[in-house]
Amino acid sequence: MKLKVLVVDDEPQIRKQLKIGLNGYGYEVFTASNGLEAITLTAQHTPDVIVLDIALGGEPDGIEVCRRLREWSKAAVIMLSVHNEEKTKVAALSAGADDYMTKPFGMEELNARIQAILRRVGVEPVVSAETEICVGDLTIDLVNRLVRVEGEPVHLTPKEYDLLRLLATHPGKVMTHRAILGAVWGPEYGDMDHYVRVFVNQLRKKLRENPSRNVRYILNEPGVGYRFVSRE
Amino acid sequence: MKTIGRLGSYVVALATVATLTVVLLSQREVFTIANVTMFFLLGAVLVAVTRGTGPAFVAALASFVCINFFFLQPYYSLLVADPREVLDLIVFVVVGAIAGQLGANVRQQAEDARQQAHEHDILYRLTRAFNQITIREEVLQALAQAVREDFGAAQTEVMPDTPTSAASLPSATTHYLLLQSGDTVYATLRAAFPEPLPSPRIRLLMACAAQAGMALQRIDLNERARRSLQFEEADRLKTALLHAVSHDLRTPITIIKTSASNLRQFGDTLPADEQAEIAITIETEADQLDRLVGNLLDMSRLKAGALRLSIAFNSLEEVAGDVAARMWQIHKQERIHLNFPDNVPLVAFDYGLLLQALTNLVDNALRYEPEGSQVELRGGVRGDEAFLEVVNHGETISDEVKQHMMEPFYRGKEGRIGLGMPIAKGIIEAHKGELRVLDTPGSGATFVLALPFAKESVIEAQSLGRG
Repeated sequence: MKLKVLVVDDEPQIRKQLKIGLNGYGYEVFTASNGLEAITLTAQHTPDVIVLDIALGGEPDGIEVCRRLREWSKAAVIMLSVHNEEKTKVAALSAGADDYMTKPFGMEELNARIQAILRRVGVEPVVSAETEICVGDLTIDLVNRLVRVEGEPVHLTPKEYDLLRLLATHPGKVMTHRAILGAVWGPEYGDMDHYVRVFVNQLRKKLRENPSRNVRYILNEPGVGYRFVSRE
Repeated sequence: MKTIGRLGSYVVALATVATLTVVLLSQREVFTIANVTMFFLLGAVLVAVTRGTGPAFVAALASFVCINFFFLQPYYSLLVADPREVLDLIVFVVVGAIAGQLGANVRQQAEDARQQAHEHDILYRLTRAFNQITIREEVLQALAQAVREDFGAAQTEVMPDTPTSAASLPSATTHYLLLQSGDTVYATLRAAFPEPLPSPRIRLLMACAAQAGMALQRIDLNERARRSLQFEEADRLKTALLHAVSHDLRTPITIIKTSASNLRQFGDTLPADEQAEIAITIETEADQLDRLVGNLLDMSRLKAGALRLSIAFNSLEEVAGDVAARMWQIHKQERIHLNFPDNVPLVAFDYGLLLQALTNLVDNALRYEPEGSQVELRGGVRGDEAFLEVVNHGETISDEVKQHMMEPFYRGKEGRIGLGMPIAKGIIEAHKGELRVLDTPGSGATFVLALPFAKESVIEAQSLGRG
């Protein structure tokens, strides 16, 4: 069965190109030009993924649409924006979006993001019986809480392990600093973002990341949070 | 206080007369009546000069009575034997009164002069203070303070512009000082006094308000001049932008347009790999266009002072890692060498902006890096400075180029418009830091991004790291 994608953008040419491209990648594509139409079409066709522009040239805007959809729809939402602003990204993510992309972007990247989300649906701990995560030289044994790099065991503190496990079980998903703090340290840590940074730094050293050779497991989302690499 | 003071003067007058009486009484047989009268006259004049007309008059009258009672025969009676002596006494009282009046005038003049000097002093101090102030609020504060301390106002309040409500009607004890210059009212100061001010004080108060009005006008004019300079700068930038950018913008647009029309017209007849190549060209040029537009937007935001930093404690190594990874994605080879000591503390900066500044500098450094050699990225903390260094090993930059390379639209060797460096510089300066260009030992250029670093933040970050 073909996966269904709903594209919501007020610019006809963008709707058209996205439709051509996504059709080419094998999705069934619907398009909507405004927020209300998007909600109606979501109810009618139950798409798997919604590609949703934030600025829809009227009310409700993309963030509001996302918030309303989240009340009843399980569709994954990728937000689009022309503004590369951290505030907008955080607002989109906290409205329930799964991911966001800044315009302009290439079709390959959009497809990769859609694939990452769909893969993730099958990996998240609630629904997954997966016991081991392997990315590049990194292996995480979820049952025995063992981490190996290039086959050698790596010693992690319990907090470091929790942090790694949280990120690794959500590959490709942007986790905001606050979400990470809440999940690993507890909600009372509020806005101690630098806590997360210090731990991620230590974790990266232990995992022997080497950015100049593109050996990376934890990616930065400037001003927003972190994203674990998605498996191809 | 005043009544007590005045009462005191009368007591002094009477005491003077009493003392004279006692002293002279002991020598009554030695002195003539003329001597005695002269002494009393001297006493009355002294009282007049020091204590004013009233006490002088009392002193004269008391002297008259005492002379009559103690020194004129018959003693110890107010009877006057010789009627001519009454004349002496009348003259005595008149002289006392006149001397008193003269003394009072002199004292009043001295008092006026002192008051004036005090007023001048208040005005002088205030004016001098105003001249050194460049912030509106401080002028208002200084004025309010002076009104409270020098004028004894019980309460002061600054109101914007002109008060209009009915509650703002002036009364004998409440004054509304319009701080204005020309037709513009910059603010209003409401001052409430415990009792009505005498009119010279009101005049002085108005003078102070006028000075404050002028100070506010000066600050306003300075602010406007500064803003207009900013506009001028923005305007100059815009003109330069139009000239310099049209070429750089039109080139990718031209390539995109010709590529697309080639695809449309000849796409069918071209071999598949050539079609793909044309499509890739369109994508690459669109990226180039996007970068340029992004740079131009950043530049104008930096120039307009509209850049808002979202400062947080961030890791320098993380930024460098991001840049290194991005360069790997572009060049598909290891062209960056990361060199960071362990335990570099977190530093306060805007992650997104510093990432951009470093990307621009590394982009630039890689363009001039010899084939097969790596640009080194170092970072750390020394003293009150956190730094990132981009070490290039290409040709050493001449001092002249160093001077101009940070200016917008400086054209480098490849003739590209240079916005990367000035944007990086603008971002660093927005962080109150500094971008320096040094020579790399051997050859090449080293760019130092220096950020202010507060030592006390180290403790916090390190203790967290062990937590």
